[in-house]
Amino acid sequence: MDFPRILSGNWETPNSHTLPVARSLGVYGRLEKALRMQPTEIVQVVKDSGLRGRGGAGFPTGMKWSFVPGPDKRGGKPVYLLCNADESEPGTFKDRYCMWKDPHLMIEGMIIAAHAIGCKVGYVYIRGEFRYIYDRLWEAVHEARAAGLLGNNILGTGVDFELHIHLGAGAYICGEETALISSLEGFKGQPKLKPPFPAVEGAWRAPTIVNNVETLSAVPWIIEHGAAAYKALGTEKSPGTKLFSCSGHIRKPGVYEVALGYPMKDLIEKECGGLLPGRTMKAVIPGGSSVPIMTPAEVYACTMDYESISTVAGSYLGSGGMIVMDDTTDLVAALANLLRFYAHESCGQCTPCREGCGWMYHILCRVRDNCATAEDLVTLKDLADNIHSKTICFFGASAAMPVQSFLLKFKADFIARIEAASKGIASGTHIAPPSPATVGA
Amino acid sequence: MPKVKINDVEVEVPAGTNMIEAAAKVGVEIPHYCYHPNLSIAGNCRMCLVDIVGGRAPDIACNMQARDGLAIRTDTPAVKKMRQSVMEFLLVNHPLDCPICDQSGECRLQDYYMEHGDYDSRGIEEKVSKKKRQDIGDKIVLDAERCVECSRCVRFGDEVTGTGDLRLMNRGDHTEIGMFPGERLEHHYQGNLADICPVGALTNKDFRFQRRVWYLRETASVCGGCATGCNIQVCHQEGEVFRFLPRRNDAVNKSWMCDHGRDQVPEIAGLKRILRSRVNGAVVDVEAALIALAERLKSAKRVGVVLGSRATNEANWGLLQVVRKNLKSARVFVVGGNDPGSVEYADALLVDADKNPNSAGVALLAAYDGQVETSEALGSAMSDLDVLVVLEDDVLGRLGKSAATLVYLGAFKNKSSEHADVVIPVCHSVEMDGSYINRQGRVQRIRRAVNAAGDSLPAWLVMERLGAKLGSAPGTGMVAAAFNAMAKAVPRMAGMDFKALGEAGLLLAADPSQPEGGDARVETSV
Repeated sequence: MDFPRILSGNWETPNSHTLPVARSLGVYGRLEKALRMQPTEIVQVVKDSGLRGRGGAGFPTGMKWSFVPGPDKRGGKPVYLLCNADESEPGTFKDRYCMWKDPHLMIEGMIIAAHAIGCKVGYVYIRGEFRYIYDRLWEAVHEARAAGLLGNNILGTGVDFELHIHLGAGAYICGEETALISSLEGFKGQPKLKPPFPAVEGAWRAPTIVNNVETLSAVPWIIEHGAAAYKALGTEKSPGTKLFSCSGHIRKPGVYEVALGYPMKDLIEKECGGLLPGRTMKAVIPGGSSVPIMTPAEVYACTMDYESISTVAGSYLGSGGMIVMDDTTDLVAALANLLRFYAHESCGQCTPCREGCGWMYHILCRVRDNCATAEDLVTLKDLADNIHSKTICFFGASAAMPVQSFLLKFKADFIARIEAASKGIASGTHIAPPSPATVGA
Repeated sequence: MPKVKINDVEVEVPAGTNMIEAAAKVGVEIPHYCYHPNLSIAGNCRMCLVDIVGGRAPDIACNMQARDGLAIRTDTPAVKKMRQSVMEFLLVNHPLDCPICDQSGECRLQDYYMEHGDYDSRGIEEKVSKKKRQDIGDKIVLDAERCVECSRCVRFGDEVTGTGDLRLMNRGDHTEIGMFPGERLEHHYQGNLADICPVGALTNKDFRFQRRVWYLRETASVCGGCATGCNIQVCHQEGEVFRFLPRRNDAVNKSWMCDHGRDQVPEIAGLKRILRSRVNGAVVDVEAALIALAERLKSAKRVGVVLGSRATNEANWGLLQVVRKNLKSARVFVVGGNDPGSVEYADALLVDADKNPNSAGVALLAAYDGQVETSEALGSAMSDLDVLVVLEDDVLGRLGKSAATLVYLGAFKNKSSEHADVVIPVCHSVEMDGSYINRQGRVQRIRRAVNAAGDSLPAWLVMERLGAKLGSAPGTGMVAAAFNAMAKAVPRMAGMDFKALGEAGLLLAADPSQPEGGDARVETSV
């Protein structure tokens, strides 16, 4: 498949993060054109391009921008643009490359987006673990400001935009947009109730747009080449290209940009170099740890886009964090490990998620350690169902979906542990389900 | 006003009403922990999840505003299961120490478990343990293990007192309510924290372990601690008052009251109560004291009478009538200020600087009578007076001087009662019916909760009996009759009826002597 590398095209050029190199590669080349466009025009182009939020939810970006109330309807309040660089979903590591290799592309996208929504001050909320990128982003901001690309009257267009980089303290939940806002405001990073939605009442109770790094980085290309060119890439409902963070038992883990609609099989076998020698595929988590797991059969039938993964496998493209697991993987231990993460990261606000994640983790530990009964699996499934979509934010579902999908698609692995427990077989992580011979002994 | 449907029952509610309140209007109770009508919406307990007819997913009723066509169901199997599962989650790490928990009997975990939980326990994992028995303030003990993390107390500190003292620390199932290290609750509204805590995490030091709540009866009344007139429930059993709880009245005190108001409880049966009548230091029965008083009044040439800003409207009306009907030459005074020893604290929230619950009622009567004189007049007239009759206010304490013969009618011992020739005990506000007028001009009822201490009588009854001995009774032998007579006579009370005052009270008509909006009839800014 032939497609332009909209997001990762500059990554291989040495010093692509510095302003002179970035400019030589065309970054900021679209800025003046964009700033001379009417804000509504930009919103319309992005709407027409079909660009969808790359943070995981896949919400149409142009539509999100259009929710910002007009200047006469926001009571003198400013509008804020927040770049979500919290990239905390396990298995996802694309935004860090965007910011490390091509920070100016993201800044260009932010300036254009800010102009589109009438924002004068923007923030990049970057996760605490990305301290080294935080420094690089500030360098980029200072470079851009010195070159008149940030500040007042950018490129003589009369557009003003200031950008600040804010370092988080390292919490998964702060990637959720309302929790990000809480944290940015200086409060405990906990999601807020919706409505009101951030586009109407967000940071400091002013209209706020939160976009992912990758989403914003795609905006300059769309302005340069037009909505139709972007829409020509990918599928009808999933236009454009997307970065996939590929990890797990593959030969070439890394970040790969492909047009949406690319076969999942090809992504694994061509881009990622296939599985390690002598291994067979056991399962794949396609879009970050919280989306439902997929079986090999589903993987081979899927293309990498929002609709295919959903219809074929009942899973989600999510953030594009693909984790490939081969036949050496102990899925019970893997799920217990995942739930350890969710139990630790639950913000503790809503009852089902706060109490349920820890509860599920404890049950999973017992299953993993061959200490559980068949009733425990029933309880586990029930708890996941009782958490899913019963909470303020999507975290509850994020913790529940792995449990539900692992139990649905790989039930045999769990049953084997229960049977081992009933026969008093000693536990141990990373063991294959016991062979009949062992069971007999 | 939008029309909404709850379980197919249509109801019209004001725009902005949430669905918990809308459902309550048609008698459907939607269970909740974090929602409180006088705090912001947190939406975290998830107990109020309901089905939206035609909706994609269940949602919380507390954050759902009424809009035309909105229809919810609270009676579906899905809702039943959601409530049950929330109860299961709440209780999985709860210590279940009900036998030693003072919240038992008024605990939402107990109540809702019986109504919405009722499952077989699957909780076999080890529970998360947290800090217990923490002394966090003068009034409050905190047990973090019992907490359901509803954040009501956090929002109370943030939104009502503005002290921001309690916080939810940590995350996940290790989330724990607590104070910052080394800090204590410093505000004057701590008791409310125990009230709004739906479980036994925050309990009131003064009340805990005094009585199981299911023994208590509640009587709706009004606090007599200051001019604010917070609405309260008097909780009592067999003649003993155990606590005051705030009673919701959004026009006066919302759902709150101050700690000073609660501190009055031990005084009710305290050592400072006057239990017997005395004449010249000798204990006598009330009848003998009244006869002695009537004799003194009849023989005196110059009589002064002080209306009581701590007494009810009915008592003051009775006193004024006794004077005007029987003692034509007597002078009537109003004394401002507070009794010595009153709480000196005041704030913009609820605690008024005027510690008298009925100053407005006395001022109203004074304006009606037209000949009532001030403290200054009393000060200069004092040496001329033969007898001074004082109703509840500690005149000697406040002004530092008294007439030759002092008569004191009151509930508590003070400087006036010590030096009085005749003392007659009257009921505490929890021992009688009557009415006060608060600083807003709101006429509010107090109600008898317990029997009178000692020989105390309601002051309005004392006036009736005194008037009879002087020749003409004021007609205040029955409280409702006393109030209604006053309401008939005083123009700003026109149309008021004692029985129609209701739970929330009624505002006086505007004061014609004040420019529009210039009178004190304002809603509090709680």
